[in-house]
Amino acid sequence: MGALDNIQEIRKQSITVGFMADTCRDRFHLQHLNEGVGRDKQITDKNLHRPQLALTGYTKLFTYHRVQVLGNTEFFYLQSLSPERRIEVFAALLSFDVPCMVVTTGNQLDPELVAIATERQIGIFCTPHETTKAIYLLSDFLDDHFAAYAPVHGAFVDVYGAGVLFIGRSGIGKSEVALDLIERGHRLVADDVVLVTRKGEGVLMGAGSALAPHFMEVRGLGLLDVRQMFGIRAIRFQKRVEVIVELEEWDPAAEYTRTGLEDATASLLGIEIPYVRLPIFPGKNITVIAEVIALNYLLKHYGYNAAQVFADKLSDAIANRSAGDMTSSRSTPYFEHDFE
Amino acid sequence: MVSRTVTIRNRAGLHTRPAATIVKKASQYRCEFTIIKEGFRINGKSIIGVMTLAAEQGSELTLEFEGSDEEAASVDIAEYFERGFDEEF
Repeated sequence: MGALDNIQEIRKQSITVGFMADTCRDRFHLQHLNEGVGRDKQITDKNLHRPQLALTGYTKLFTYHRVQVLGNTEFFYLQSLSPERRIEVFAALLSFDVPCMVVTTGNQLDPELVAIATERQIGIFCTPHETTKAIYLLSDFLDDHFAAYAPVHGAFVDVYGAGVLFIGRSGIGKSEVALDLIERGHRLVADDVVLVTRKGEGVLMGAGSALAPHFMEVRGLGLLDVRQMFGIRAIRFQKRVEVIVELEEWDPAAEYTRTGLEDATASLLGIEIPYVRLPIFPGKNITVIAEVIALNYLLKHYGYNAAQVFADKLSDAIANRSAGDMTSSRSTPYFEHDFE
Repeated sequence: MVSRTVTIRNRAGLHTRPAATIVKKASQYRCEFTIIKEGFRINGKSIIGVMTLAAEQGSELTLEFEGSDEEAASVDIAEYFERGFDEEF
């Protein structure tokens, strides 16, 4: 398995609070109360923390390096205290080096408390979402940015709704196959540099790079912009990687599957993905075969495995009748006066 | 495998012209050629890949060559980097 051997996953060690603020501002209405403060602080953990016990003074196991979420419980606990005590408790909490703090449910933190955070250079954010939803959105965002990813050299196309990733040595014709598929109405996700990210359990998502989404190189032509050339119908921005197709020169010594009964998979970022090794030679229409691979994947996905059905029919015939009858009998018992 | 560390010397960085030259040079060799920038590995025979690195002046890259003619390829390509792509420093 050549083309995937060389892949090494990358993981971000940290993101800045400023990056989170910019990315989440519109997406989930994250408002920076002390605008501009603490943007350079690093978030190093994808988990969140609700500092309930830390507020009451028990800070022994306080995971202060996580993003702190002040939900209703924390907020109303603070409100229940006298103003002096409230400031004292909040200052004690922020004496730890927390990256930033998010207040949920649109609760308004006292200006004096925000001032303490500003003094300590800690960003305070506010979101109108209630705590459960805010935690879900923030966790999803952080999960995404701390997820393992890797650039894969290949062409990634949505074929009939199945994400097909073509790999193989450079010059074998991955881009040409992608171009042919686009011409037939399928959608390009990325060519040459496919950023594959592990998202959740067993899911790989692929997208293009920010610098050149939907650009493609065709030998002899140079760089093409598929979006400009074929329009919005020819592209998409992200797709789950569902099948990996490795293109290679026909090798008479190699064994290619003849029945498709065995489920071949390839490991990418530690996840097993259905894998097809496809020998190419002149006169073989790879595009049509790629469509068939996608359709066969969809059939299997919806519970129909052609190879298995054929194998079962055969076993059935052998068990119930003499094989000789079956080989000589047609699928149509008689021609019903229809000579078309 | 041959591995070389190089620095981008020219002021304009690894822009389109040198990227094209690198890809052309690399395609003359049979060996696999990978360029790595801060853990980001791309195929050195892909023009889009090399351009995606967006390597600016001063950035450090690792070049990896693997195959029968890796030695010759590494000398040829690393030298081109060291010359600052024959451009202004």
